[in-house]
Amino acid sequence: MKILVVEDETKTGDYLRQGLMEAGFVVDLARDGLDGLHLGISEEYDLAILDVMLPELDGWKVLQGIRKAGKQMPVLFLTARDQIDDRVKGLELGADDYLVKPFAFAELLARVRTLLRRGKGKEPELLEIGDLSLDLRRRRVTRAGVRIDLTAKEFLLLELLMRRQGEVLPRSLIASQVWDMNFDSDTNVIEVAMRRLRAKIDDGFEPKLIRTVRGMGYVVEVGE
Amino acid sequence: MKHLLRRSLTVRLTLLFSLSATLVLLALGFTVARAVDRHFVEQDLDALNGKLTLVSHAFAQLRTEEDLAKLPALLDSSLVGHHGLAVAVIDPQGEVFFRTSGVSFPKTLLEKPQSADRRGPVVWQTGEGHFRGIAGQVTTQLPGWPEGIVAVSTEISNHEAFMQAFRQTMWIIVALAAVLLGFLAWVATRHGLNPLRQLIAGASEVTASRLDYRLPTESIPIEVAELASTLNDMLARLEESFKRLSDFSSDLAHELRTPISNLMTQTQVSLSRVRSPEAYQEVLSSNAEELERLARTVSDMLFLAKADNCLIVPTQEPVRMEDEVQDLFDFYEALAEAKGIRLARQGHGQVCGDKLMLRRAISNLLSNAVRYADADSTVSVTISEKVKVIDVCVQNTGPTIPPAQLPRLFDRFYRADTSRHRTTEGAGLGLAIAASIVRAHGGYVGASSDCGTTRFTLSFPESPSGATDQT
Repeated sequence: MKILVVEDETKTGDYLRQGLMEAGFVVDLARDGLDGLHLGISEEYDLAILDVMLPELDGWKVLQGIRKAGKQMPVLFLTARDQIDDRVKGLELGADDYLVKPFAFAELLARVRTLLRRGKGKEPELLEIGDLSLDLRRRRVTRAGVRIDLTAKEFLLLELLMRRQGEVLPRSLIASQVWDMNFDSDTNVIEVAMRRLRAKIDDGFEPKLIRTVRGMGYVVEVGE
Repeated sequence: MKHLLRRSLTVRLTLLFSLSATLVLLALGFTVARAVDRHFVEQDLDALNGKLTLVSHAFAQLRTEEDLAKLPALLDSSLVGHHGLAVAVIDPQGEVFFRTSGVSFPKTLLEKPQSADRRGPVVWQTGEGHFRGIAGQVTTQLPGWPEGIVAVSTEISNHEAFMQAFRQTMWIIVALAAVLLGFLAWVATRHGLNPLRQLIAGASEVTASRLDYRLPTESIPIEVAELASTLNDMLARLEESFKRLSDFSSDLAHELRTPISNLMTQTQVSLSRVRSPEAYQEVLSSNAEELERLARTVSDMLFLAKADNCLIVPTQEPVRMEDEVQDLFDFYEALAEAKGIRLARQGHGQVCGDKLMLRRAISNLLSNAVRYADADSTVSVTISEKVKVIDVCVQNTGPTIPPAQLPRLFDRFYRADTSRHRTTEGAGLGLAIAASIVRAHGGYVGASSDCGTTRFTLSFPESPSGATDQT
């Protein structure tokens, strides 16, 4: 998977490149709008991350140029401006998502993966990791063949984690996807909910599948 | 000039005043001059008519030819002492019978009148001077002298000279008076505008550090007092906003300083020597948590700053509060259960506004209630429709908040219990955000606490379609 990052802020650009590369992507970094547009048109990318405020050519213009050249890869905007207008403008111009700075890297990674996954393959009916399986059609969860009873929200939470297994999901993303809390809400709630889910899924089983990544969020994976 | 007129009230008032004074004086002068002039004319005519009557009478008394012959001498003597009066008599044949020497009469006066028996007055000028005259017919009882024409004139040069001098003096007086009045008007205006100057002097005293200064309103005229009290109101509002702003920035600096200094110290300490990867991981995780909190505080502050500047414009859609509360209960359920707290909901009501914002406001109250509720108690949310108001009341049992602290609860960064550890809760902006959301919806917030029960109430104006939508 190849990603184009256009970001003029040196530190942000560097950590975006490093973070994305460590997450397994191939990353090209452009430091201004003109370079970004040039790369975007001449190379093939699976996704582009554009800063709005760029020297030479702003993010909107880069997006327009890329679309004009017939490139249809998903585009995610980064903006320091927390304004609905920007969002509307971005979406009108054909951006696929939008993230306000400062953002958590985990949040960015989650969005990137969502965009890359979009429109690919059909919905699986069964999610599995290790000996844990989640039957979406029958709304049933079993671990090592033992049936586990979950509340509706716990089921949604586990489904989210298993769909994105291996990805660290930030608390804000979980609150927004599972409970539709699209604002900074009480993060203690997520911690308690995760603790309860973990008690049902991991207590008495090995290996532990749900892991807390301090300062970032939660991930479901088979531990090393 | 135009520029000056627009700029200076004094110049404008002075000009207006002296212009109107000059006009009045001119009109007055004109009227007086006309009255004097007319008086002179009347005086002349009186004298002329008298003389004419006298002459006519003399002719009417003629009995003999001798009388007629004596008449010129008689007329001459009768004119003695009447300076400027002159008489001419034309006999029936059209010849001059008598004429005072040195005065020539215009022909129109000496011709035989057509209808009226008196003619004039006529004004004329000759080398000898300016004259005014009238004429009339005389009849006698002498057979050879049936009738004649008598013209009487008086010299009016001295009147004219007087009038000219009079007019001249008057114009000079008018001009001087206009100048004097203009000056007086200027003095009066300047004096009259003194309160305004005092106001200016007072207003220039106001600086950011002296916003508590108020302009005096008792000792100045009512027109200006109104301006002064308006300015004072403005100052009061400015002072309040300014105070809020400066409190806010000092709170902000304080709130950010602690976590930043923690981050800095922690990072520097860990950099001071080589450590195990686990130790670095520990430091970075802890930093990440701290930074996340900082980012939240900053974005909350941004929200509040926008709300203060009325940049938060809620969308207007009907929101069923019971649904929002139920969704929030689903969210808080796990946390509440972990603390042995039950969540209860009563009533329903519809508010017109921004779903996300309303949810956030109630969420902040619930989070607060769950945090401070006693273990094994109930947090209840009551939605009630009152007259034109929808109340959402969140109630928990827990420590009673002293009445003195109640009004401050919605202040940003305010924590009722200062000893509470900051990491166990948010930055103290939750209630402030809830309050600003409610205000952005045209509502108000309230808090009460007694006997171990604390209630927070959000009051929204009833949505216009609320009543009909209930069906």
